[in-house]
Amino acid sequence: MAMDITIKIGGEAGQGLQTVGTLLALACRNAGYYIMAINDFESRIRGGHSFFQIRISDRPVHAPHSVVDLLVALNQETYDLHKNELCDDGLTMIDAESSADDSHRVFVRFNEIAKEAGGAIYSNTVAAAACLSLLGASFDLLKTILEKQFEKKSKKILDNNLTAAKLGFKAVEKIQFKQRPLATLSKPKGGLIEGSKAMALGAAAADCRVAAFYPMSPATTILSHLNGYSGKLPLVVEQAEDEIAAINMAIGASFAGVRAMTATSGGGFCLMTEGLGLAAITETPIVIIDAQRPGPATGLPTRTAQGDLNFVIHASQDDFPRFVFAPGNPEQAFNLTIRAFHLAEKFQVPVILLADQYLLDSLYVLETPLKAQNKIEPFIITDIDMKNPKEYQRFKLTDSGVSPRALPCRGKALVIVSSDEHTPDGHITEDKNHRIAMVDKRNAKLPAMRDEMNPPDQYHPEAQILLVGWGSTAGAIQEAVHILREKKLDVGCLMFTDLWPFPADTVKKLLSGDHRSIWVIEQNQTAQLGGIIRGETGIAWTHSFLKYDGRPVYPREIVDAVESKEKKS
Amino acid sequence: MIEKNIFKSDFKSQWCPGCGNFGILEAMKNALAAEDISPEKILIVSGIGQAAKTPHFLKCNMFHSLHGRALPFATGAKMANHDLNIIVNSGDGDCYGEGGNHFMHCIRRNLDITLLVHNNKVYGLTKGQASPTSDLGTITTMQTEGVISDSFNGPLVALSLGAGFVARGFSGNVEHLTRLIREAMAYKGFSLIDIMQPCVSFNKINTHIWYKERVYELDGPAPDSLDKAIPLAMEWGEKIPIGILYRREKTDFTSRIKSLESGSLISRSYNAAAVQSLLEAEL
Repeated sequence: MAMDITIKIGGEAGQGLQTVGTLLALACRNAGYYIMAINDFESRIRGGHSFFQIRISDRPVHAPHSVVDLLVALNQETYDLHKNELCDDGLTMIDAESSADDSHRVFVRFNEIAKEAGGAIYSNTVAAAACLSLLGASFDLLKTILEKQFEKKSKKILDNNLTAAKLGFKAVEKIQFKQRPLATLSKPKGGLIEGSKAMALGAAAADCRVAAFYPMSPATTILSHLNGYSGKLPLVVEQAEDEIAAINMAIGASFAGVRAMTATSGGGFCLMTEGLGLAAITETPIVIIDAQRPGPATGLPTRTAQGDLNFVIHASQDDFPRFVFAPGNPEQAFNLTIRAFHLAEKFQVPVILLADQYLLDSLYVLETPLKAQNKIEPFIITDIDMKNPKEYQRFKLTDSGVSPRALPCRGKALVIVSSDEHTPDGHITEDKNHRIAMVDKRNAKLPAMRDEMNPPDQYHPEAQILLVGWGSTAGAIQEAVHILREKKLDVGCLMFTDLWPFPADTVKKLLSGDHRSIWVIEQNQTAQLGGIIRGETGIAWTHSFLKYDGRPVYPREIVDAVESKEKKS
Repeated sequence: MIEKNIFKSDFKSQWCPGCGNFGILEAMKNALAAEDISPEKILIVSGIGQAAKTPHFLKCNMFHSLHGRALPFATGAKMANHDLNIIVNSGDGDCYGEGGNHFMHCIRRNLDITLLVHNNKVYGLTKGQASPTSDLGTITTMQTEGVISDSFNGPLVALSLGAGFVARGFSGNVEHLTRLIREAMAYKGFSLIDIMQPCVSFNKINTHIWYKERVYELDGPAPDSLDKAIPLAMEWGEKIPIGILYRREKTDFTSRIKSLESGSLISRSYNAAAVQSLLEAEL
């Protein structure tokens, strides 16, 4: 029988939920299981309600599960909010005096036990230990992890954590849980990674050397990972005074000759649109990560969304080419980030990566090891590549629209660039023929850019019922297709990562098959991808599942929506 | 010393006859020639405005960026290649208005560049509106009842933020301005020269003659105390000092960045093994 257990740990911000989560995730990963974990928190440092939810399975899992098997309530509120998610044979451990004790609910004094171990601060270790004990883990499994986690801290902190862990194991020794998967160990299936780390590693692997940013959830974690690599690689991470400065710093660094990026969320991207246009008209390569959260304005700062697709495709004035990609999981996040830098340089255009809070803050098991590139293709010319460096023209007209790019102060060639419309030599002009030539030159890159676009990932694309989505909902969509097919519905899906320039011909072919219905699954209110597909191919969606409450999409929600419509017809 | 005419640009000037920018352009060419910095060795970054067009009229590597954004752009360029020699041409609106936030933070970073603020106390390119440095009560095409905000004193703000090199120049004294630019370029760190210049089209008060009658050259060594510098930065009206108002050595931005100790980012080669070991260590 397949093992698929979901544990939810809830409490206030500041209670150390992330630590519990990390310990559980590491233990399950070390025991040889697949995990997928989400972080749900409010925009505050203390109080409120947060939870960490981890799904543990012996099969790959790429989305959260909506039914909870084990609920760990560090306060009464957690229980009240989530008790209805518990399955029939589920169990709650609660740290709150409660009159209605029953077979599904046990009272565990995490806080009191923690004080025995040295302070309330250790309650997260007690909670993690209690969960692992219920799942059948040996004490050693946790001990090894704690020793590694606290190796840089004092011995006292480690000892207190080990005591807390022991007490946690003891506190639940008489309690039975339905499954004890961690009693059986196998080889780890891969490393543990969150989307934010995958993108940071992708940037490092792409030889990104300057990252400028202004702190904004949920993008900041990408930069804090990257910041940690700056001692190991030639890399500078600079916190700018605002997002306008951040993007202009990245453009300056790129102009001077290194790969550069910035990362922000939609609100910060609003400030960056001016810089986006600067990168476009000066044909300076740049990579921008938009870590989406619900908007407009401040919106829901710590939650997830897919509401910026139309925005990033159209941001800044007038027409210019750009790439837009949206990874669906950490592996894609790593590879797409590398590809983004490569394509930015190759075509001298801005590349936007659309991530979101769900992808960035969730933990996954990465099955394929990440690989460094043997070399980085430079796409730069120097004096020796030129007949006469003194005649170098930065914006020389070419058939491809891409002009050979030299760097400033690296030889005899003078690099002259202006944000005004310019002549091939880079000086400003108002001449109408030059203007037309330059607009046409920039847009001449589009056919070759479109050739770079991959078709959407496909799973039973010939099915009668086709689900279409993009970015981080890929895992939930694919699992929903799986469940629906087991229920004998002919369902398939298309999951887009390569969004712009839109691969219209490929998509038109895929959607022109014999489909009874086409569903768009998106985390915005207007089906933004659906709109693009309709505009680019003339094919309209027939049904939609649109979720914009700031919470991740669960496979079960898609299944329910599809079943409710498709079973009747 | 190299020949000054090596900087002659084929690009035709777009300034009004008598514009103060000509004096500044001349002083820049003099300073570059005197310092032996040939066109391919200099990067000039500018924002938007009449001042920001300067690098087009001078042979050099140049990036004519966005309104107000020259400083963050220059910061990025320096992060990538801190051996770049960068001059920034900006105006009173570009630097103190649209780019005010960047101005503050560039000083905090102590970025090693020379910032020339062409200060004509009016918006030229957009035809005569008040600028941040326009005096209270100044009547303009837009502020028809007179400017109702106090004027912005760039050098004073720079001093208050800890800038290590603060100077005031005058476009009508090219020889003096040349010296100032040379000193500023030689200074390792952020150097500001706020350059008073007439706008023949839109500023009928602060004319060439008006300045000529008021400016006096500071002599002796540059002050290194704020007690001396602040009164000089605030001196305005009957007498206006030109020269270095303040100079003090400080560690510059890129020297403060640990990962640049082993050389500029652009000078280092890609190391696949280092990347691979990072990828393995992180998982």
